[in-house]
This record gives sequence, C-alpha cells and structure tokens, in this order.
Amino acid sequence: MQIIPAIDVKDGHCVRLKQGEMHSATVFSEDPAAMAQHWLEQGAERLHIVDLNGAVAGVPKNELAIREIVSVIGEEIPVQLGGGIRDLDTIERYLDDGITYVIIGTAAVKNPGFLHDACYAFPGHIIVGLDAKDGKVAVEGWSKMTGHDVVDLAKKFEDYGVEALVYTDIGRDGMMTGVNMEATLKLARAIKIPIIASGGLNGVEDVQQICATLVPEGVVGAIAGRALYEGKLDFKQAQAAADKAVGGGT
Amino acid sequence: MSDIVVVDYGMGNLRSVAKALVHVAPDRTIVVSADPGVIRAAARVVLPGQSAMPDCMRCLDESGLREVVDEAARSRPFLGICLGLQMLFETSEEGPTPGLGVLAGEVVKFDRDKMTSASGNKLKVPHMGWSPVRQARAHPMWAGIPDGSRFYFAHSYHPVPADPALTAGTTEYPAPFTCAIARANIFATQFHPEKSHRAGLQLLANFVAWEPQS
Repeated sequence: MQIIPAIDVKDGHCVRLKQGEMHSATVFSEDPAAMAQHWLEQGAERLHIVDLNGAVAGVPKNELAIREIVSVIGEEIPVQLGGGIRDLDTIERYLDDGITYVIIGTAAVKNPGFLHDACYAFPGHIIVGLDAKDGKVAVEGWSKMTGHDVVDLAKKFEDYGVEALVYTDIGRDGMMTGVNMEATLKLARAIKIPIIASGGLNGVEDVQQICATLVPEGVVGAIAGRALYEGKLDFKQAQAAADKAVGGGT
Repeated sequence: MSDIVVVDYGMGNLRSVAKALVHVAPDRTIVVSADPGVIRAAARVVLPGQSAMPDCMRCLDESGLREVVDEAARSRPFLGICLGLQMLFETSEEGPTPGLGVLAGEVVKFDRDKMTSASGNKLKVPHMGWSPVRQARAHPMWAGIPDGSRFYFAHSYHPVPADPALTAGTTEYPAPFTCAIARANIFATQFHPEKSHRAGLQLLANFVAWEPQS
C-alpha cells in the first residue's frame, strides 16, 4: 500500500485546506516543485496534485506550477492530478506535460458523457475522484451535495473503463479525524478497480488500520496531506508501517 | 539518422518515454516519429503502447507502420513497453485482432476468480502499482539493477510466451507471470521503465548501451 503525498496548489503555492474551504488555506510552501522533489527524495512512489483554483474555476489555473513539479521530478514516478479538468483538450495538455493520470471529479458526476469520452480517448490515464458524505456524492469543491449514491456511481464509472478511484470522505479531510473506514470499505467491496483512500490520514495508527481493514479489499494507496506537512505523520515511517503490515509490494 | 526512435503510431502519450530516454542519454539523438523512413533509419527502436491491443494493432496498421516495426523487431535493438510488449505476441484475450506474431505465445487477462494474495488480500484489476521484479536470468538490460527491484505496472493483461526461455523477468500478482521477455535483439517489459524511478532509468540507460549478440 502506497502512502501518496498530496500537493495542493493554490495561487502557485503548496497549501492545505480544512474541509475543502478555500479561505481556510494554510500555506506550507511557496515552491510546490521543491515540495515534489522532497517527497521523491523521501521515497514517495506516487504523487497526488490538486489545482485548487482550477477546481473552483472549472479550468486549469496553476499550470505553470504543475509543469514545474513534473519537470523537477523528471516524471520518474506516476503523478496524478485533479482540479478543473473538464474537457478533453485539458487532459491532452496535461498528459503531454508528463502527468500520468488525470483525476476527473465534478465533471464526471455532472457530465458522465465527458468521462465516457475521456476514458475512450485516453485509456489508462483516467482516474475518477469521488467526494462523499454519508454515502452521497458531493461536487464543486464540496460545496454541493448530489443525490447520487457513491457505490452506484462508482460501478457505472468502472464500466466506462476508469483506471482507479480516489475516494474522499469530506466530513474528514483536513480535519485529521481519520479515514472513514466503513464507507471506504463498502465502496472497495463493491467495485473491482483499485481504490485510493483519501481524507484525514492522521498518524501511523491510521496507516496500520488502513492496512488491516482496507488493503485486504483492494485499497492500493492512501493520500496524505496536512498530517505530513504539520509533521504529525512522517512519510518514511508511514510507508515503512504500510510495507510491514502488507508485507511489501503493492 | 537518429540513435533512437520512439514509434508514434497514434496510441497516446509518448513524451514520457522520450523524455526519460533524453534524461539517460543526453548525448544521443532521440526522436518521436511516425515516419517509416525515420524508423527504418534509427539504430534503436522503442515501441511503447497503452489502451487495448486490438486498438493498438489497428492504429499500427492505419499508420502504415506495421511493416517497419516488424522489421525493426527482427533486426535492431528493440524495446517494447507495456502494450509494445503485448503486440509482439500472436494473440490476446483482449480481442480477436492478432498481434505482430514476432514472438510465439499469447496475452491473457488476469483471472478475476484468483485475485487473492497469499496473505488473503483482494487484488484489483488493473494491476496498478509497484511490484518487485525477479530477474529470471542475467541479461545486459539488467546491468546495475538489483534483482527484486520494484517497477511500476499498470495493466489488466499479461504475456504468456510459448517458450518459457523467453522470460527475462517475473513478478507476482498474485500468481507469478512473465513481465519481461528477451530474445536476441528484443527486450520488452510489461512494466513502465519510464515511470519506475532509478531502476527504470537504469534499464533505459542499459537499452541505449545494449549491443545484442546475434
């Protein structure tokens, strides 16, 4: 199981939000590319990048910073990117820039036809990000709840050919109260494609619990943000704990 | 004449492979090309690929590159990556379209009923992640890469060569399967060296230096 450091980019800086609220951003670094380099040196084998301004605007807003991240880490590990990806041209540009996976969130929920086209045009490169609360999907930077059931929607997207799912429980992200095991487990049991858990990874105990509870059902990674930046979770320790619990490999 | 050509037959993103090659071989001429003449003239050929094998074969045919790729795979240092490995074989469970048939054998899907690890974990398909690769035999392409190094995989199908001696590397998911094959001038990997950090870059550097013994 991989610990996947998150780099959330707002106005060109590396920040973390509390529960997705843009005004609650804490700046952790003014140089996202240096941050990416840091995680690579720490041994990260995948990075999770979010264009926060892009997610709000519906179009890319931090392309320069993102291109710098990719150029600095030399595309040596897979990078997944979300935020403001709502048309095929944007996907093509990001893949050309060296992004391995684009994460489609809001656009997948509001416009499944777009997701379908994206999976067809860029097979193997599309991940869906589903944000949910109480089993229902939220969109637009978590500001709107929909009536969609997470599991139903995830199954539909799986049929479209998405490569993996990033599941975020929005009651928890940025509040460091722990990943929602129950909800993530339910989703992992229902679908066949890999799941990356997100939202509120807080300490090594969370990593161990994910390994014990979620990895057996096919969760392949966990995104870590605020806890890494605040020093409450040490990347190397977290990855070592995961490797120990799972016995290495994936 | 270029030192290395990355074959562009219309199947997606080739920049990563080309950039990784430039990174390990800054003094070489590396081009991405769909021009049969350029491919024919290149000293070394890389065939990447993604998506589904039938689509890849269709694109290869439509781009008019089947013949030059087939010729390259039989004559010059040739590196197949992911679908670029699968296309070398005769058939795939992914569809009725035959592969190039340069290598005898088939490409099969992970058996969904057997996707449980030794420790009882459910394994998802696609296989997406880093797995240790066991080197089945010594090969110049493994130079400087410790046995058991982890490489990045993203695939739902894997090759089964008719001749087990073609296997240069294996990994487990959960059953062992061939993830690297080697024969004469051909080396091909199911994993993505261009996304596999140091071990992957070393493998690409080895390809640049590789002089196959015919």
